[in-house]
Amino acid sequence: MGRFEFLKSPEWRREVTEVAFGRSFWGFLAAAVAFGVLCWAVRGEAVVREALGHDLGLLVSLLPRVLIALSIAALIWVLLPRDRISGLVGKESGLKGLAVATLAGTVTPGGPSSAYALLSVLGLSGADRGAMVAYITSWATLGLQRILVWDVPFMGPEFASLRFAISLPLPIIAGMIARRLPLTLRLKGAGEESGKAEAGA
Amino acid sequence: MSIGILSLGAVLIALLAVAIRRGQDFAPVVRRFTEQFAMLVPRMLCALVAAGFIAELIPKEAIARLLGHDAGLIAVPVAAAAGLIVPAGPVIAFAIAAVFARSGASTAALVTFVTSWSIFAAHRVLIYEIPLLGASFLRLRILSVLAVPLLAGILTYAVSLLSPYGAAVPIH
Repeated sequence: MGRFEFLKSPEWRREVTEVAFGRSFWGFLAAAVAFGVLCWAVRGEAVVREALGHDLGLLVSLLPRVLIALSIAALIWVLLPRDRISGLVGKESGLKGLAVATLAGTVTPGGPSSAYALLSVLGLSGADRGAMVAYITSWATLGLQRILVWDVPFMGPEFASLRFAISLPLPIIAGMIARRLPLTLRLKGAGEESGKAEAGA
Repeated sequence: MSIGILSLGAVLIALLAVAIRRGQDFAPVVRRFTEQFAMLVPRMLCALVAAGFIAELIPKEAIARLLGHDAGLIAVPVAAAAGLIVPAGPVIAFAIAAVFARSGASTAALVTFVTSWSIFAAHRVLIYEIPLLGASFLRLRILSVLAVPLLAGILTYAVSLLSPYGAAVPIH
């Protein structure tokens, strides 16, 4: 059972704690408190209490999803043949790669936790920037699950179908723009050995 | 809503079955999971609370007045801006969209609002995008999709000149 030794390594534990409660965590906490105070000043105590209650409910429904989504992403991370990804949606994949990414975004189930975790796996496996942007834009605008669960009941099926049809070409356009922008992209986790070291064993 | 968790659960079970059949070593899976969990969850808690407060501070009714049919194409950039400032999940965003629809917002404005929110939702950027992908991806993505909500709005406006199809029937 020597493979799980990293769990005991003090170095790894320190790293994980640093990632979890580093400086940006305190920034987020400060923002939450600041907006709470502002909300209390502008809207009063009852609204603050109501918002907090709503947050709690949201959290309870969100946490199990996040746990499942991260498990899926971690499994995909080790199971996926990464070389095949770069063939399918890599730099040389052209318009077909953008179309594949758009389709993948449309059918990805779950909320942002699963979509972004998967996007990170795709990016580190050699998906090119255009395909990454097309994928996440497609998940956001065309995601079937969101359309069925939110657009249809809240706004009606006619609106939902019109919005879907109008949005169809947009992820591909966004992906084409992303390929042409002269920006350097440095993905988080690139070059690090996050969970990768033992993957080949 | 439970469709989401059910389909995620099904995907997870299928992947677990594949992993076990392949005799996969689970140590790297546990490691990757723990690292991403640490990256996401503590910040998620704070961002969630902040977003809830911001949603209460947005002047929904005042914005709705700017999105009517009389505003024509002007409603499109206004709706895009409104979508930008809703830092919350679909429950709140679609509740706001329904408020807009009931106050007479045009279909083009509503499509723009939903598209803009779905692409830029600030809470998602803060909770997931920056921790998991980093600031350089965020910059690339934002610049690539900047025009997307406007394009969606203009296309919808063009359609609405030809046919009334697509008018929203908002929830009560």
